[in-house]
Amino acid sequence: MNTSPNNFVVETDALTKRFGDRTVVRDVRLQVPRGVAFGYLGPNGAGKTTLIRMLLGLTSASSGSMRLLGLAVPARRREALARVGAIVEEPRFHGHLTGRQNLEIAAAARGQAAYELIGSSLEEVGLAVRAGDRVKTYSLGMRQRLGIARCLLADPELLILDEPMNGLDPAGIQEFRGSVRSFVERGGTIMLSSHLLDEVEKTCDHVAIVDQGRVIVQGSIAELRNNGKPSVLIETDEPARARAVVAALPSVELVTEDGTGLRAVLRDAATLPDVNRGLVEAGVRVFAFEPLRPSLEQRFLEITTRLENAA
Amino acid sequence: MTSLAYTLPTGRLVWADLLKLRKRRGLLVVTGLLTVGTVLIANIVSELLHLVDPAKHGPAGGVTMLGHLGWTIAALGAVAATIAGAMAGTADEDAGVYRELVVTGRSRLSLFLSRIPAGLVFVLPFVAGAYAIEAVASVALAGVHPAPSVYLLTVSGLWVLLAATVYFLLAYGVACLTGSRAYTIGIVLAVRLALTPLIASIAALGVVRELLPGVALDNLIPAALGDAARQGPPIGMSMAATAAVLIVWTAAAVLVGGWRDTSRDA
Repeated sequence: MNTSPNNFVVETDALTKRFGDRTVVRDVRLQVPRGVAFGYLGPNGAGKTTLIRMLLGLTSASSGSMRLLGLAVPARRREALARVGAIVEEPRFHGHLTGRQNLEIAAAARGQAAYELIGSSLEEVGLAVRAGDRVKTYSLGMRQRLGIARCLLADPELLILDEPMNGLDPAGIQEFRGSVRSFVERGGTIMLSSHLLDEVEKTCDHVAIVDQGRVIVQGSIAELRNNGKPSVLIETDEPARARAVVAALPSVELVTEDGTGLRAVLRDAATLPDVNRGLVEAGVRVFAFEPLRPSLEQRFLEITTRLENAA
Repeated sequence: MTSLAYTLPTGRLVWADLLKLRKRRGLLVVTGLLTVGTVLIANIVSELLHLVDPAKHGPAGGVTMLGHLGWTIAALGAVAATIAGAMAGTADEDAGVYRELVVTGRSRLSLFLSRIPAGLVFVLPFVAGAYAIEAVASVALAGVHPAPSVYLLTVSGLWVLLAATVYFLLAYGVACLTGSRAYTIGIVLAVRLALTPLIASIAALGVVRELLPGVALDNLIPAALGDAARQGPPIGMSMAATAAVLIVWTAAAVLVGGWRDTSRDA
């Protein structure tokens, strides 16, 4: 069932949330395309969880509008959330009840169709064998999988996950990444919030970068990377002289120390050979000269640095 | 499904809320001890004392014993109902599950309302069971004392169940309002066990005393049970005033609790 008439499963316009004098979410205009893994990326305290809580009706918006699966919320919240699975912060359960009983409670809130999905949801997350055990005996990873099983009771078109990789070990993160891709390949959409740039880059297709309650930029990860400045990593045994030579080149915007060597940010990728020539002509011994693929992290830092400088 | 239907609690929701309560072993044990356990122990001890020394200790049954133990069941049933109401009102919030239920799209009012029948289905069978034991004992162990009539047994039973229902609703409303199980149990039991008898005994307060739910409940004690089922002095109230006091208190508790439960951030 496709309940959304358009291509965006989440749309917000001028969405704002204030707690007293403090504005936590500020004029957010967000568009999450259908059929992608969408990362809502920002540092801790950027307002990611608050935005998700507003979308899900856990807290009210101060102003602005929201649509989930094409339906205005909170006006049509019930219909919209019927096909949305969500985990806010960490999944919580009644510890004295079994995993299956906790799912039965969620299914009681959703309706008959959800009851019929309890068995398959437990199977899908690999908890069928432990479904009869009390949740207080589950590990953190098992609780997170049970949280995913609870989301699946909605037969969701959209999964909204708040910092889903928190507390997962590397194997768990890899498993989670696989689950995300599998869900998206089956036509679902995932919106996840995270402060882990590297993980978002590996997991998601689209991203919005948020800082201090504002969405700074949004689009596909490929687009964001392409908008980033090209750079090159230079390894040399004369870093001070190399830095002086490179910094003097008109095509170089910035030179920084980067652990193993120097990192030069260029104004244009076409000027890369000029840097190489400049070093050779100056007689600097170069051990490595490696053009860097722009990363989301680099782009994020460029954007937030620019914002800090502007402030 | 219409909006109204989505607001009303479904049978499955009530069953789910009952599950949360009945799977708590501690709550089951405490409720059982306060109700069925107390009556069983009281009857066994009374009958043993009677058998050992009939001249000093009367039979364990009869109208007077029904009055004494009827009061005990009403008082301890109110305690059990208060604990159950406090648990029902805070369990989802304490476990962090409330938000998980809200994100299903189910109306908050429906989630709030479903806990009321669930809590009553949990606690009233214990109170009814305790009273059933006492009713049987009051007839079977009456000995030389007059046994209670079927009418008296029926109205006394209804009074005991009404008392438990009123205190469950009061505790549930206060629990949803405060979000704290401990505060709720403390507040409601302080009113029930300390403030009500104290205020009821201050004759100078006159009609103000009639505003207390405990006084209104005492006014419904069947006359045939006499002072045996009464904690304080009798305060005469009309039936209309009694009903109004009980309805206003329980409705106010449920409305305020419901407002808080459906309007706070989940």
